[in-house]
Amino acid sequence: MENNIKLNFESYLNEKNFTSSQKEIKEINFDNFIKNGFPNRRIEDWKFSDLKKIITNNFENIDFSKKEAQLNIDENLIGDLEHNKITFINGAISNIDFSYENEDKIIVEQNLNLENELSKNTLLNLNTAFVSNYTKILVKKGYQFKKPLVLFNYLSHDLSNSGLNTRLDINLEDEASLNIINISNENLNNNFLNFRQKINIGKNSILKNYSLDINETSNIKYSFKDINLEKNSHLEYFILSKGSKFAKHDINCSLNDEYGSVVINGIIDLNDKKHHEIKTIINHNEENCKSYQLIKSVLNDGAKGVYQGKIYVNSKAQKTDGYQLSRALLLSNEVEFNAKPELEIYADDVKCSHGSTSGNIDENSIFYLMSRGLSYAQSKKLLTNGFLNEVIEKITNEDVKLLVKKLTGITE
Amino acid sequence: MLSIESLKAKIEEKEILKGLNLNINPGEVHAIMGPNGSGKSTLSNILSGKKGYEVNGKVTFEGENLLELETEERAHKGIFLAFQYPLEIPGVNTNTFLKTSINAIKKARGEKELDAIEFLKLIKQKSAELKFDEKILSRQLNVGFSGGEKKKNEILQMSILNPKLSILDETDSGLDIDALRIVSEGVNSLRNKENSFLIITHYQRLLDYIKPDFVHVLKNGQIIKSGDYELAKELEKVGYEDFN
Repeated sequence: MENNIKLNFESYLNEKNFTSSQKEIKEINFDNFIKNGFPNRRIEDWKFSDLKKIITNNFENIDFSKKEAQLNIDENLIGDLEHNKITFINGAISNIDFSYENEDKIIVEQNLNLENELSKNTLLNLNTAFVSNYTKILVKKGYQFKKPLVLFNYLSHDLSNSGLNTRLDINLEDEASLNIINISNENLNNNFLNFRQKINIGKNSILKNYSLDINETSNIKYSFKDINLEKNSHLEYFILSKGSKFAKHDINCSLNDEYGSVVINGIIDLNDKKHHEIKTIINHNEENCKSYQLIKSVLNDGAKGVYQGKIYVNSKAQKTDGYQLSRALLLSNEVEFNAKPELEIYADDVKCSHGSTSGNIDENSIFYLMSRGLSYAQSKKLLTNGFLNEVIEKITNEDVKLLVKKLTGITE
Repeated sequence: MLSIESLKAKIEEKEILKGLNLNINPGEVHAIMGPNGSGKSTLSNILSGKKGYEVNGKVTFEGENLLELETEERAHKGIFLAFQYPLEIPGVNTNTFLKTSINAIKKARGEKELDAIEFLKLIKQKSAELKFDEKILSRQLNVGFSGGEKKKNEILQMSILNPKLSILDETDSGLDIDALRIVSEGVNSLRNKENSFLIITHYQRLLDYIKPDFVHVLKNGQIIKSGDYELAKELEKVGYEDFN
């Protein structure tokens, strides 16, 4: 596999007219990826999800050369919700549409130069090496989006055993607000998707990000988000992790000034030997910030779920309020759930808590429902939906809440 | 309607029911009284099909072997258990649950399922009868309900499902006088020539509101005495300890 990736990289560098410094950044990152390869379980962050093994088991070879494609886009993914959109086809941006907005207030820069950085995360190295249209969206000071921005990720049906690296950075200036829905279409072929985002939320600004991985695919997915919050800003982050064969959501939030707040709510709902992980780090770097995380998992048929959540509190970050809770429902014997909650606290006036539970479905509740005429299967479905619905109810954008309920069939 | 012959039940090797006999005919109200640990709740659990018991004996409901039926099949046939401790079901709306329940039963009986409008009409009517605040039905099932609200919700379910045999497992425990009256009125409104009741209780109090046709005393897994309403009064005076 390694030789093929090297060939892909060489031809990719030659095809494009990169400046020598851009070429160098890409080469350094690529070399680092080749040196270390896909992360395996000996790396602490990957101890519950051995990506190297997963890649080896699922791919003979991954093709990182670019696949241009024309697609008939299926807008029905999100029903009749009015929205702006950015469409990715096979990992490349094909369309940007802000028709509901005042376009003077939004700046979209494409084909940007990469910064000279070398992460220890080899998947970010890989992303930097291969990303082609590095795009940044800037929302100007005081601008509030009227409609959500939907990031559609389409793959063409002929695409298989391909590796796609995408990057979309978002910068909200002060007093701005934006809701993002990130959604994928159906594609049954094996692909490796590596999506990176750097997000900045300015003073008094609000970002709501809804990541929906619903349709059944055999894709292997990694997404990495670096999110910086300025004074009195707010992030609401919702994850529905369900459709992909493997998915890891790597979320790093830094509360860099006072009164910032982060809410992360996640659902891992798996069957059929799927394996998903949510990993979060919340850095409380300044005083009076809040973070709240609720992750609920339902695992069936040999599935594996992982939640690693770390709350870091800097010595300056007095009056921090940090909370995380993970609850998992194990519906069959051969499933596995791993939770690794971590608190690292250097300030003395803080309120931090974490909790993690996992267990079987409550047979007494099943009996109660069955005594009212419901079958075992109906009772189980009602209970698991109820369990997950608590997370969906936390979505504060009512249109998105309805959309998620419609897409999942989960209602109260 | 219901016939129980020498019913024995064990849980984890502990024998709880030791040969219980009981006959309930259509339209009759039977009360079973007994001290803690006498097997009252075990009896109601076994009649409604809870798993985990080793059961011996013969129980027929309208001529059918009840012990062979699954819990939900018993509900379809018209058996209802009002729980002593109704369970809290987070994330499940009470209305959604009620609609799923009534339509599961209707479907099993080959009757037409209720649409949203018919269902709402039924709910409105029944909650008004039971002086039950409808708003509570848009909340999660039993979550954050007071003890009285939970019990009233059981009676509301009973009244909506209109069962042939209703088993009330210590429905009076934890109820204040007003709630007790409302619950009793709910039960009394369902009394007719066809519907039967099995009321399980510690105290005579409930029986002042719901006059039973028969009273049975359950002690050590057996019915040791049967009589009419006067027996309940006698029990209240003497206490279970000295009652033989």
